Formats: sequence, C-alpha cells, structure tokens
Amino acid sequence: MSMEAMAPAVRKAVRERTSISLWRLVGNEYFLYIVSFIGFLLIWDWVAKAQILGRSLAPPSDVLGELRRLMAVELAGKNLLGHIWDSTRRIFIGFAIASAIAVPLGLLMALNRYVNAIVKPVFDIFKPMPPIAWISIAILWFGIEESSKIFIIVIGAFVPCLLNSYNGVRLIEPELYDVIRMLGGNRRNEIIQVCFPAAFPAIFSGLQISLSIAWTCVLAAELVSSRSGLGWIIIQGMRLTKPELVIGGMAIIALVAWLTTLLVSGLEKVICPWKRGIKAV
Amino acid sequence: MLVKISCKNIRKIFIQKGKMQVHVLEGISLDVYENEFVVILGPGQSGKTTLLRIIAGLETPTQGQVLLDGKEVKGPGADRGLVFQSYMLFPWRTVMGNVEVGPKLRGVPKRERRKIAAYYINLVGLAGYEKYYPHQLSGGMKQRVGIARAYANNPEVMLLDEPFGQLDAQTRYYMEKETARIWETEKRTVVFVTNNIEEAIFLGDRIITLEGKLPGRMKSIYKVNLPRPREHTDTAFLELRHKITEETKLLL
Amino acid sequence: MAYQEVKVKTPWLIKILSFASIGAFFGGWELIVQTGIVPSTMLAPPSSVIQLFVVKLTDPNPDGAVLSKHAWTSIQEAGIGYLLSLLIGLPLGLLMGWFTAIRGLFRPIFEIIRPIPPIAWIPLCIFWFGIELWGKVFIIWIGGVVPCVINAWAGVNMTNPTLVQMARTYGASDWQIFRKLCVPSALPMVFGALQITLAICWTNLVAAELLAADSGLGFLISMGRRLALPEMVVLGMVAVGTVGALIGVVIDMVERRLLAGIRR
Repeated sequence: MSMEAMAPAVRKAVRERTSISLWRLVGNEYFLYIVSFIGFLLIWDWVAKAQILGRSLAPPSDVLGELRRLMAVELAGKNLLGHIWDSTRRIFIGFAIASAIAVPLGLLMALNRYVNAIVKPVFDIFKPMPPIAWISIAILWFGIEESSKIFIIVIGAFVPCLLNSYNGVRLIEPELYDVIRMLGGNRRNEIIQVCFPAAFPAIFSGLQISLSIAWTCVLAAELVSSRSGLGWIIIQGMRLTKPELVIGGMAIIALVAWLTTLLVSGLEKVICPWKRGIKAV
Repeated sequence: MLVKISCKNIRKIFIQKGKMQVHVLEGISLDVYENEFVVILGPGQSGKTTLLRIIAGLETPTQGQVLLDGKEVKGPGADRGLVFQSYMLFPWRTVMGNVEVGPKLRGVPKRERRKIAAYYINLVGLAGYEKYYPHQLSGGMKQRVGIARAYANNPEVMLLDEPFGQLDAQTRYYMEKETARIWETEKRTVVFVTNNIEEAIFLGDRIITLEGKLPGRMKSIYKVNLPRPREHTDTAFLELRHKITEETKLLL
Repeated sequence: MAYQEVKVKTPWLIKILSFASIGAFFGGWELIVQTGIVPSTMLAPPSSVIQLFVVKLTDPNPDGAVLSKHAWTSIQEAGIGYLLSLLIGLPLGLLMGWFTAIRGLFRPIFEIIRPIPPIAWIPLCIFWFGIELWGKVFIIWIGGVVPCVINAWAGVNMTNPTLVQMARTYGASDWQIFRKLCVPSALPMVFGALQITLAICWTNLVAAELLAADSGLGFLISMGRRLALPEMVVLGMVAVGTVGALIGVVIDMVERRLLAGIRR
C-alpha cells in the first residue's frame, strides 16, 4: 500500500478504535449491570403496584419505608438493631461452641487412629442428617428458650468444622514432617510446628461454610419458635400480612449475612497471609 | 583422611500395597570422607533419592547399614541436614522463621538463634529478604532458604536431593556456582544427588554413578582432580564429561 | 519413612473400637431412656423408634399418611426442585461465565439473591403459593440454583486460555468456542455441583416442610413434636438422614456412569 492510500485507512482505524459507539456501550459489562439492576427494581415496582401477585408483593419504596420505621419503632420490645444483634449473638455463641469442640476433635481424629476409630463411625451416622431436622427435638428438650436455638447452630456448624480440620491435617504434604525430623524435631514438634499451621487454611474455609449453615439454622429456629431476631421479623410480617416487613427482613438478613462473611474472610487474610499468595503465584 | 559416612552393602526393597516388591537398591557400599563433596549421579528411577534418604535416616535399609562417624544411623536427626528437591519451606513462616526452625527446636534462645539465622541467610546471599514469605520468592531464592535452613542447624553432613531440578538452566548454573562458594566458606561433608553430568563434574570431588535401571547398583567412581573454581568449558572438564557420558550413556 | 513404617501395633483393636463405639452409642441411648435418666417425653429409645417404624409402614395414623407416602412426597418435592435447579442453574452459569451480555444482565439479580439464605424465602413463599407443592419447590430451587450457577461459572473460568487463543486462530466464533471448548472444560466442576446442590436441596426441603406442609418427612418430624411423640420425631430424623444418603449414593452412581471415560 502506498503512503497516500494508507493514510485514510489509518485514520479510519483510529476513528473506529476511539469512538464511543452505541454498540460498544451496550456491550460493556458494567453498563449492563446498572441497566439490569435498575430494570429489576422497575419490574419489581410495577409488579407490586399492579398487584399481579395479589397483595403479596410490596414495592421497593414501601420496603424502605418500613425499614426506616423499624429502626425507630420497637417491635416486641426491640428495634431493628436489637433484633439484628439477637440473631448475630446466637450465631456467634453457637459458632464458638461448635468450633471449640469440632476443630480440636478433627485434629485429634486425624492424628490418632484410636480416636478416629471411636469417633468416626458415630459421626458418619449423624453426618447425612440436615441440622434443621434437629429443630423439633431441640424444642422438645430445651423449650423455646435461647438454648434450643444455640443447640441447632452448634449441630449445624459442627459437621463442616470437623470435616475441614480433619481433612486439613490429612492433606498435609508428608515431606513437611520429614523436614521437622531432619531438623531434630520429635512427634510433638511435628504436631505443633507443622500440623496446626498447615491446617489453618482448611480450618478457615470450614469456618466459612459453617457460617452460612449457621445462618440457615438460626433463621429456621427463629421461624419456628422465637420471640426476637431477624427470622422472627419475617414471620411477624407473615402473620401480620405485611409483605413489606417480610421483604425488608430478607434484605437485612442478606446484608448482615454478607457482612459476617466479609468478617471471616478478613480474619483469614490477617491470620493466614500466605494462603492467598500461593493461589496467586 | 577420616571416613565420615560409611555405607555397607545397602539393599532396599519396597513393598507396595498388595505384596508387590520393588527392588530399589542392591549392594551399595561407599565411603565418604570428611569435608568431601561427593556426587551421586544417575538418571531418573535409579534409586539415588532412596539412597540419600537412607543416609538421612528417613528410610531403613532392608539389609546393610549406614555408619556416621562410626555409629549406626537409626533414624532422622539433626546431625544430618537435608535439602529437598521441592524446597519444602514452611509457607506460614518468613525466610527468617524458616531458617531458625532448627535452632528453635533445640531450645536456643531467641536472640542467639536470630543471629545464627541471619548469618546463614547472609551466607546464601539473601540478606534483606528476612521478612519475605516463601510465596513471594523465586525458585532459586526458595532453594537458598532451604540450604540456609539446613546449614543453620549445624549438621555434621549436608545431604542435597537434586536441589536444582526444578530451576531453569540459567538459574541452575548460578546456583551451582553459589553452592560451590557456600561450601568453600563453610566446609562440610556433602552428599549431592543429581542427574546432570555437568553439575556433577562442576561440584564434586568424587562422582559415584549408579546404573540406570532398578535395582540401582554402583557403576563407577570418578575422582575429579580439577582445581576450583571450575570452568564448564575447560578442556579437562570436557574430557571428563565425555568419558562419563560414554561410559554411562545417560540420556540426560 | 523409617519411623513411620512402624504400623499401628494392633490393627484388630481399631476394628473392634469402631464396632464397640457404635454398639456403645445405641446401647447407651436405649439405656438412658429405659432407666429414666432422660424422661420418655423427651427422648425415645431405639426400640420405640423401630416399633413405630414397623407400625408406620402400614398405618396412616396419627399423622395422616403411611411412612412411604411421606418419604415419597419429600422425594418428589426435592427431586423437582433439584432438577429445576440443575436445568436452569447450570446452563445459566455456563453462559454467564462466557458471554459478557448474559453476565451483565443476570449478575446483579444473582448477587442480590445469593446472600439470602433460602429459608428466609419461606414466609414470602407462603404468601405467594400457600403450602402447596410449588411453594416448597420454589424454595428448594432458589437454594439449589446458587451453587449450580457458581460451579458452572467457575468451571467455564477454568478453561485453558491457551486453548481459547488457539481456537481463535482457527477463526472460531464465540458461540463455537463456547460449545466445543468451554462447556467440556467445565464438566468436572459441573459434576461437583451435583452433590453439593443435592445436600442443599435436601436441607431446604426439610426446613420448608417443618413450617408449611401437610405431608412429607419434615412434616412427620414436626407432627411428632406437636403430638409429643419423640419416637416419631426420631423416626422422621432417621428417615431424613437415610433417604438423603441414599439419593446421594444414587447420584454418585449416575455420575460415575456418565464420567466413565472422561478423566477428572
């Protein structure tokens, strides 16, 4: 191509590359996110106002209004933050109890064959039972007090915590033990210097799974029998036929659940800085 | 010269699950003298790693024994330092943390073991990287940490299991030179396993070749009389290399 | 490793311990109720549970249905919800992983739904569907569609970029690359989703039935509580665990059959 013929072609190409065409805008991912989100809200609003689903869907504006009201007004003796705290408190207590028992037990099972032989068969019997199935028995045993809800959370969080710390130890590279031995360590050093730190990432991912199960458990327990908490808010909304309360409650649950997940992730980054690194490299 | 390590008629048979017997070593007898740099050379699957692990005490021979300073080797111990092919650094410890594990296990107080670790980190050329985590280091750097970690425990002998096998060619050349330098500075008895002929000639005082098929038997022993520092392109170097290649017909 | 070759000195002890442990568990359970340490209003001994099991095989009282009907209802609901999750979630996840347009359109909705525990939908579903079948199917579906999408999406993301570049040099279109390269690459993750989704679906089913049902295993459990019959509660729990485990085994067999030739 000659220089003169090239110039217009180059100019055209440059124009094409730098122009903000409509096609490129529509194809941009983030633009679509915004469109989709706004569309979702609009469709929601329309369906609610047109009462396509009867009175059972509340428009977003109503939901927001209800949430604002809850922050100020007291529902069964507590405002919104009080209920959030109730649910979260139950989760943390149950979670703490479950991990305090499950993590050491899992480590012990992986390290000692006798303990494994005693505990694992019984554990395998209980493993396939969904924690929610325990709700009725928990109510029989503890009534509708706090302990029944915390019991369910403990049951639910127990299984993944145990499994993950068990597998976390079993999957350690055997040569790492060789290293300790060649540096003059004994069995106790093996456990303290290698097992514990190496199992941490697995234990943390067990914690993440346990956390989402704990949320499911606490909600289920609160839906069935409770006098406070986020699950109770939703059930109240159902009893009082106030869909805006139900949806508002769901939104808050989603938000708080997401925040707690972030918390555990952040904790993991602080305690195990090397795990992410290995993934990246 | 004093015999540091003595292997007497080592035979090793592994029993895999289901009664299959894998005969890995047969009739290995060799002596390693004090402060000597001995290289065990062989292609893959020749049992050389197993031999090294037997000397380290991580495996027991089916027959025969290994003597260190005249005493039989019964298990792993701090008097032998092992450098692994896949680095095996503790990912949750920094460079300093990794190197000081040995003294820490022996109960050396913090200030002193930090000093020891710092000395060896400096020796391997990683001064300034003490606070880095292994995942932030390159392959060559990780292996240097491995060497420092083994050295910091003040072992009687150093055992290296194909330590540069996972590095690229240029880093490998560099690490060979570094190994020679470190060894000259802190002399120890070294048993070095490799499959690379040039590496063997560059580093070793003596080269012991193993046959290329299982069970691994000793083939020949070469004495490398070249002065240090050695040159890969030296005539005497190349002659020896030709000789070994011809005799073993190693494919590597 | 020399020091690790020392096998467990008493392998027979291990086997005995396992059996002894299970025996002690059931024996202890039976004893603490029979001897009154735990009142029989709170816990039923294994003997009562087995008795009730035999009875319920044929007797629809007092909860309204035979055991097998309860189980069948539960399996039906879970099964429909599970299959719907797979049918909608897997293709959606695959497409979202590859096509920007689809990802842009569906991702916000997905990210909003994702943190909501499926149980939270129950009251809303009662509003919309009452306690009929479809309400429960909806909850199971909402719970199951999330791991399907996530796994399928991750599977597509794991496609080897070098292979993609190679396909482009042959002039393959986006759709062709998707069909011939991304989907097969994602299969291992997709199959991984099958078991996880099943566990989640089964859990949500039980929760849904506890609250809003008139038959099904979850209903059986809550009935047991309302009638103060702990043996019914325990029977329901055992049934839930057993059926869940059985379905898992079936899915595993199906998976093996389908993956017979493909290397994981």
